[in-house]
Amino acid sequence: MKKTPTVGEILQAKGVSRRGFLKYCATTASILALPPSMIPRIAEAIENARRPSVIWLSFQECTGCTESLTRSASPTVEGLIFDAISLDYHHTLQAAAGDQAEAARHAAMEENDGSYLVLVDGSIPLANPGYSTIAGISNVDMLKETVAGAAAVVSIGSCAAFGGIPGADPNPTGAVSVMDIVTDKPVVNVPGCPPIPMVMTAVLTQFLTFGTLPDLDKHGRPMAFYGKTIHDRCYRRPFYEQGRFAETFDDEGAKAGWCLYKLGCKGPITYNACATTKWNSGTSFPIESGHPCLGCSEPNFWDKGGFYEPLSTGKFDSGERLAGAAAAGVALGVAAAAAGRRKQSKFAKEG
Amino acid sequence: MTTLEGIQGAAFPFHGNVRPILNEVIHAIDKLLDTGEATTIDLASLPFGPGELEHLEATLGTGELSAKLDALGTSRIRETAYPGVWWLEHRNAHDEVVGRYLEITRTPEILKSQDADIAAGRARLDDQSE
Amino acid sequence: MDLLEFARGPALQWAAYILVAGSIWRIVGILLLKEKSDFSEPRKRAGLGSALKVVYTRSFTAPPFAKATMYPKMMAYVQHVGLFAVVFLFVPHIMFFKGFLGFEWPGLPNSVIYVFGVAAVVASLALLIRRVTSPVLRLISNFDDYFSGFVAILPIATGLLIPVRLGIRYEDLLAIHILSVVLFMIWLPFGKLGHVFLVFITRGTTGIAFERRGAKT
Repeated sequence: MKKTPTVGEILQAKGVSRRGFLKYCATTASILALPPSMIPRIAEAIENARRPSVIWLSFQECTGCTESLTRSASPTVEGLIFDAISLDYHHTLQAAAGDQAEAARHAAMEENDGSYLVLVDGSIPLANPGYSTIAGISNVDMLKETVAGAAAVVSIGSCAAFGGIPGADPNPTGAVSVMDIVTDKPVVNVPGCPPIPMVMTAVLTQFLTFGTLPDLDKHGRPMAFYGKTIHDRCYRRPFYEQGRFAETFDDEGAKAGWCLYKLGCKGPITYNACATTKWNSGTSFPIESGHPCLGCSEPNFWDKGGFYEPLSTGKFDSGERLAGAAAAGVALGVAAAAAGRRKQSKFAKEG
Repeated sequence: MTTLEGIQGAAFPFHGNVRPILNEVIHAIDKLLDTGEATTIDLASLPFGPGELEHLEATLGTGELSAKLDALGTSRIRETAYPGVWWLEHRNAHDEVVGRYLEITRTPEILKSQDADIAAGRARLDDQSE
Repeated sequence: MDLLEFARGPALQWAAYILVAGSIWRIVGILLLKEKSDFSEPRKRAGLGSALKVVYTRSFTAPPFAKATMYPKMMAYVQHVGLFAVVFLFVPHIMFFKGFLGFEWPGLPNSVIYVFGVAAVVASLALLIRRVTSPVLRLISNFDDYFSGFVAILPIATGLLIPVRLGIRYEDLLAIHILSVVLFMIWLPFGKLGHVFLVFITRGTTGIAFERRGAKT
């Protein structure tokens, strides 16, 4: 394996002072959602960490996840990409194309066999492998080939993690998630549409810092970020408890910043860090901007009923079958009454 | 509502997070005085409503000392109106905030000259004097 | 399909079919029964007035029994008022009804609803304790009494657990809550919970029968 420099050596070579390094470690602790008391341990770990090779595969996706990550303000993702990780293949960001790009992927796989990370955005079509190909290779083949020598796989975004929008009913391409295909390697899901950039960075940073993957919930998501619901950490929660709700998007309640439950907020069943980590350098998150949470980090969020239907709405079909049930009730009632009447007459005669 | 100002004006004052943080700060001050142990509160981990962080900053006010650090972007280290309670704000090279902390300590660690830097500086000085 | 999707979708849908078909079956079946032949001269003419009178008077205890039944009557009122408030005045529930009724009505703050909910659960437990400790009541109670009580209180108990959480995930608790409502809807037409739609019919018929016989109502 190629001997890569440690992060400490890289920073030193760049003339970063110890103070700068401490600052870097403090923000890293923030990113990893670790208490500030962990900073000395993080400093020690980062100093000796060697940058991992990363291969990024993009399948049935919209590039929103890459857009989100490259706009992240966390300890400079540019910095992270160029300093802390070695991004060896990403066909949107890299200059190389075609055979050259594929050669870079193979070189990275060979040099770092068993230790590189594979990041995937987008779902994988199985209905027909020809629906999505890169350099003439189908998505499923490229994934299987690339993952074979990987240390772990990170599914970036809801499409890679759960099938996402391509997998929404009726799922014309037969889209599946990475987890559906990769069963013999650790898979970390970082869902969201797109995911919070800091969460993507956090998984990479933890792998870089401690060489480990985060604790995961039942959907394979890092607990540190997906451990609590949006509802539980929402600053508008007191209004929910007080029964003060926005009824429309432009009423007094909406202007006053009341709870968006009635407008369809999926915050109570959505596990993500938006309410604390926020977006756009900590500016706000959807609810703070006045829009209910869509639940984009949950499996099948696209098929969970209307975005603007309150969470407690039942999913009933049209009234026709209910009318059928009522008619059946009448028929049963008449039959029961007829039987009852026969019994009544019999008793009266015998009486 | 036709202007951005109208939207701004509609932001409601919600300060539910401020009081628990102030309580935590008071406990941390007690701990600092009793045992000398410092506390750091990561403000990024708290679900602030609009205007709440600003309210906390205004409540804590500005004290006697403030410092600017230039390392991987600018950082501001400022003692609040309450001695021993420091407001730290780290920015990256693009001047975006990457971390906000309250440190309850006598001197924030990052203000102190670090041994590694002192040694490197000494070496440079050596070179200069040759 | 996860548990919540199952609960909100097919489970609730089938419970609705069973609730509607079962309730209509029971009501039609009873209303179409032959009136009992009455061979005596009526003491008084009985009509809608007599029926409504008993619907009203049976809401209170007759004076001779006032003292003896004060406690269960009070508890039953707390239970029923609590149940009503929780079902019809909790905003997420109003949203549930709006989903198929198309209109809504004002609700109460959650904190008030929690008080109603806890009161209903406590009153139900008090009534259960009374039922099992009183020899007479125990003798005349059957499976239906216990099971109907259980089925009625389960949705409130599971609903109250949602904000408490107890380490269980919100969506799982919500699914369990909805499934407990599904059980309630399915059982309602067939057991003693049927009093939801039968209570005023039976009181009315009793009123008419008593009035004919000249009994004090």
